[in-house]
Amino acid sequence: MANLLWLQGGACSGNTMSFLNAEEPSACDLVTDFGINVLWQPSLGLELGDQVKEIVEKCISGEIKLDIFVFEGTVINAPNGTGEWNRFCGRPMKDWVKELCEVADFVVAIGDCATYGGIPATAPNPSESVGLQFLKRDKGGALGEGFTAKSGLPVINIPGCPAHPDWVTQILVAVATGRAGDLTLDEFHRPKTFFSSFTQTGCTRNMHFAYKVSTTAFGQRKGCLFYDLGCRGPMTHSPCNRILWNRHSSKTRAGMPCLGCTEPEFPFFDLAPGTVFKTQTVMGVPKDMPEGVDKKGYIKLTAAAKGAAPAWAEEDIFVV
Amino acid sequence: MSDHINKELSEAERQAYLDKFGVTPADASHDILLQMIEDQFANGLKTQVEPFPETDREFGALLDELRPLNADQLREKLDISGWLLEPYGEDQMRCQECMYYLVHKRWCDLPELDLPAEPQWWCRLWRI
Repeated sequence: MANLLWLQGGACSGNTMSFLNAEEPSACDLVTDFGINVLWQPSLGLELGDQVKEIVEKCISGEIKLDIFVFEGTVINAPNGTGEWNRFCGRPMKDWVKELCEVADFVVAIGDCATYGGIPATAPNPSESVGLQFLKRDKGGALGEGFTAKSGLPVINIPGCPAHPDWVTQILVAVATGRAGDLTLDEFHRPKTFFSSFTQTGCTRNMHFAYKVSTTAFGQRKGCLFYDLGCRGPMTHSPCNRILWNRHSSKTRAGMPCLGCTEPEFPFFDLAPGTVFKTQTVMGVPKDMPEGVDKKGYIKLTAAAKGAAPAWAEEDIFVV
Repeated sequence: MSDHINKELSEAERQAYLDKFGVTPADASHDILLQMIEDQFANGLKTQVEPFPETDREFGALLDELRPLNADQLREKLDISGWLLEPYGEDQMRCQECMYYLVHKRWCDLPELDLPAEPQWWCRLWRI
């Protein structure tokens, strides 16, 4: 039996909604098959007010062993570092978070906000939001760079806006069943099992990427979304096209450019007008290249690919 | 937006197209459209090759100029896009490598242009 407590800070509840849609395993499976005891969760907990406060206080005092502390949303520090804009059970949430993280065996940040600060931390960041151990790309966050939970692991970050439900439940199961030692984390504390490959890996538009045929308007089923519509699939680490959403699709498969939501810079370019759904270029060349590709190589590759592109690459191959 | 660009084809222009090609650009076939484009340049059309849109905002401003044009306004499209019948710049940029160019169809797939093009041509909406 592993006790799990889930709290929300500066959050939209999107990750909770995602979590509740999990299928492999489902949220119910966590309880029935994997021995996770959900002490409280904002959308599942029956307790209210003082009853919740009692659970949280017992976790901090050690009366209830806290095996897994899950946090969703940013840690809000406004105004002026007090955290008073996000009060929970009579005190700033950030104070609860700090104390709970000190007693938990494992701390898991779910979603972009808890991981890097996400959308709330976008400049000018009026809520003074940070992630648990990062603010965008900078180490530190609410707990500090050197923080480790009692298990010895830093915060396990599962970014995404929202995180895929199965990323969440699979990591929780790994931790709850004593397999945390199998997890390897990358530089942003993301489990490598999910975040080593790219969103582009498994994308059905890869052939159009290869032959440099661009989607030029929403709704087109031919073409690659990277060249014109701002898709960040080639430089975003996520398994969105390997572990499909709702088990059968993904943003790019549905014609929606990847927004790069598992990367610390999301939302990119601070959402300045003209930067969303538009590939940013300098003198006609993309600002952000597919990871590992330089400008010179990209231009050479484009010339070769265009020259070699077969006629079918220009057709809509998904004719109804 | 350029003030000198009319948003409608004048009656004189329409008649000129009909006299020369039997159709206006909106109804022209791929090959006739190519001839119409070449004919514009043969008649001395000078397009707005510079400035090259260095940023996406500048690029978007050109698209905003093109978007209200109808399919008959071929000359205006060529003018605003800075169309040329040859490669451009020291890198010899050309349609062949452009993201919007469909090499087999010999067609510019940028919705705001939507015109046939030869691989050696170029315009300032070039992107790679």
